[in-house]
Amino acid sequence: MINANLKSSYAADERVLNNRYKQMFVYGMLLLLALFTFFANDYAILIASRMGILLIAVVGLNVLTGYTGQVSLGHGAFVAIGAYGVTIFDNVLAGSVPAGIMPIVAMPLAVALAALIGVLVGLPSLRVKGLYLAVATLAANFIVIFLIEQDAFARWTGGMVGLTTNSPNFFGWVLDTKREMFGMIAVIGFIALLAAQNLIRTRIGRAFIAIRDRDYSAEILGISLLRYKLTSFAISAAYCGLAGALFAYFFARILPEQFELALSLNLVAALIIGGMGRTMGPVFGVIVVVLVPELIKTLFGALAGDTAGVGQLRAPLQEIAFGVLLVLFLLKEPLGINQIVDRILRAANRWPFARG
Amino acid sequence: MGQFIQFAINGLMSGAIYALIAVGIVSVYKATKVVNFAHGYLIMFGAYFYYTFSVVVPGQEWAPAWLASWQPGWMVVMRADLQMFSPMGAVLDWLANLPRITLGIIGALICNAIVGRIIERVLMRPLMGQSVFAMIMVTVGLISIMSGGAQLIWTADAGFVPHIAPNTPIRFELFGTMIFLFGADLVNMLIALIMFGAIVAFVKFTKGGIAIRATAEDQSTAYSMGISVPKVFSRAWVLASTTGAIAGAILATRNGISPSLGLFGFSVLAIVLMGGLDSYVGVFIAAMAVGVLEAMTQWKMGGDWAEIVPYVMVLFVLVWRPHGLFGQKEVERI
Repeated sequence: MINANLKSSYAADERVLNNRYKQMFVYGMLLLLALFTFFANDYAILIASRMGILLIAVVGLNVLTGYTGQVSLGHGAFVAIGAYGVTIFDNVLAGSVPAGIMPIVAMPLAVALAALIGVLVGLPSLRVKGLYLAVATLAANFIVIFLIEQDAFARWTGGMVGLTTNSPNFFGWVLDTKREMFGMIAVIGFIALLAAQNLIRTRIGRAFIAIRDRDYSAEILGISLLRYKLTSFAISAAYCGLAGALFAYFFARILPEQFELALSLNLVAALIIGGMGRTMGPVFGVIVVVLVPELIKTLFGALAGDTAGVGQLRAPLQEIAFGVLLVLFLLKEPLGINQIVDRILRAANRWPFARG
Repeated sequence: MGQFIQFAINGLMSGAIYALIAVGIVSVYKATKVVNFAHGYLIMFGAYFYYTFSVVVPGQEWAPAWLASWQPGWMVVMRADLQMFSPMGAVLDWLANLPRITLGIIGALICNAIVGRIIERVLMRPLMGQSVFAMIMVTVGLISIMSGGAQLIWTADAGFVPHIAPNTPIRFELFGTMIFLFGADLVNMLIALIMFGAIVAFVKFTKGGIAIRATAEDQSTAYSMGISVPKVFSRAWVLASTTGAIAGAILATRNGISPSLGLFGFSVLAIVLMGGLDSYVGVFIAAMAVGVLEAMTQWKMGGDWAEIVPYVMVLFVLVWRPHGLFGQKEVERI
């Protein structure tokens, strides 16, 4: 008998962290994160910030692909809209809104814009699905980046040269170091993760899952595909827009080519490697997707120094490693790292009785 | 009017090449139900192989001199009494290049066929029977592997490659306006059209083609009727990679060789979906339509707007007809 899982009330059964090992895991991670913010060196902070920004976008993609089952290869476009949106609102509103509350005004506006365009891009999902939707979103990504690069809009978007962004200013507290910025990203990232986890426990989230499992059956059960598919697109685009806004604040300069297909594929790869349709999936996936190229870079630096010939080899190798990881996970562990971690946590929970 | 015809002809010529690329995606889809997102990178490999065998190999010290530039006695004599820029000169240039062009195309065909076989055997066959999503994502992973691999193998910037056909300028009058074409473009179009026709005929009339169609209809029934489904898979991949090699060689002569050739595959993917994934006719019509519309956009709105034409068109077509112009509607059971 496995008595570690005895629950004496429904409330206890419905908790997010429903056993002590999960609690210990999550609280331990939070403590480490807090310590990390204060004691890590600048390089580690930079890497961790990139992870945090990517994480928020992948959590968004998880809502759409993992929970609602709609494939998208175009989420880089929403990140772009968030990043450009926040910078453009920042510039346009510069006179009329006090600098101290600018991020609080500009960020929600950018997120709302991303959600709006998400609904627009989601419209084809009502007619097509699966592969056709993947290509439709891919097309949308190309179109959005193309429009940003156009000279006609260069007055706002800066065209090919991109835009310079300001540091965020919360009531006079200017986040002008990367460490302060990481603090903001970590807090927002944690809230985003928690919100996504709770979203799927609501009526809306259950509707999403029903649509993923069989959309016609869901419709017969009375779930409006129009409403919930578009809601899902809006929510996931909003997450990506938030990630883009943080991206714009974190990096001093944004360029259109940063949001091209490569970013969209990165998001999908992180989701698959981490585990689709699981809350912690994006976390593990993002860690792998950001860390592996960095590891290759460090290894190369250690092995061969900084000669030009070696530098030429590094970028292709990073690309290959990324592709190989994606393919290996699809072939060997389609449920992602989350499945592996789950197995370990489950074994710990049941120890010493049963394994696996 | 004259301008219009000129651009329409240009559009038809690039449309034929789109069709040739699209045929690879359609063949793989028909046989294996996998939509190959990495087809553009297969084409890029074809282009690089063509470059390797037509430029790099003849340039080596151990290669015989006639391989790099074939100069028999009669050609030297003929060349001596030619005028500058005469059409015959272009033909002679082409003849001199013919050995390395032949080597380039044969090399590209063989190497690309091998690459296609490897992809099928290592990545696609273990996934037989898995979800479509997994298969698509594997081809997405393949994009990174192939583009990284190409950068590793062909580090230096690739240069000029010889045209497949004599590149004589052709001028003629049509409806009172001068039309200006290049001979190589015309021959490229012919090659593309002939190959397209040949593949459609192959799938329609030969035994191997019927096996592909049977597999497309129902995999397990095809298996039980004695068709070796794995063999069909690898045949389809080889078909796709060899047409990709020719398309790559043509594109290399038109636009030069660069890693961005891979992106070309995405616009062709859009074309394929527009036409309907499993319909050769639909894909052909869509390819021609996109080619002409791109040329018109280039004429009216400038070159860079042309590159998003396929993407805008695919969105409209998909909203209007979810399975493409001629695609078969999937029947789903609940």
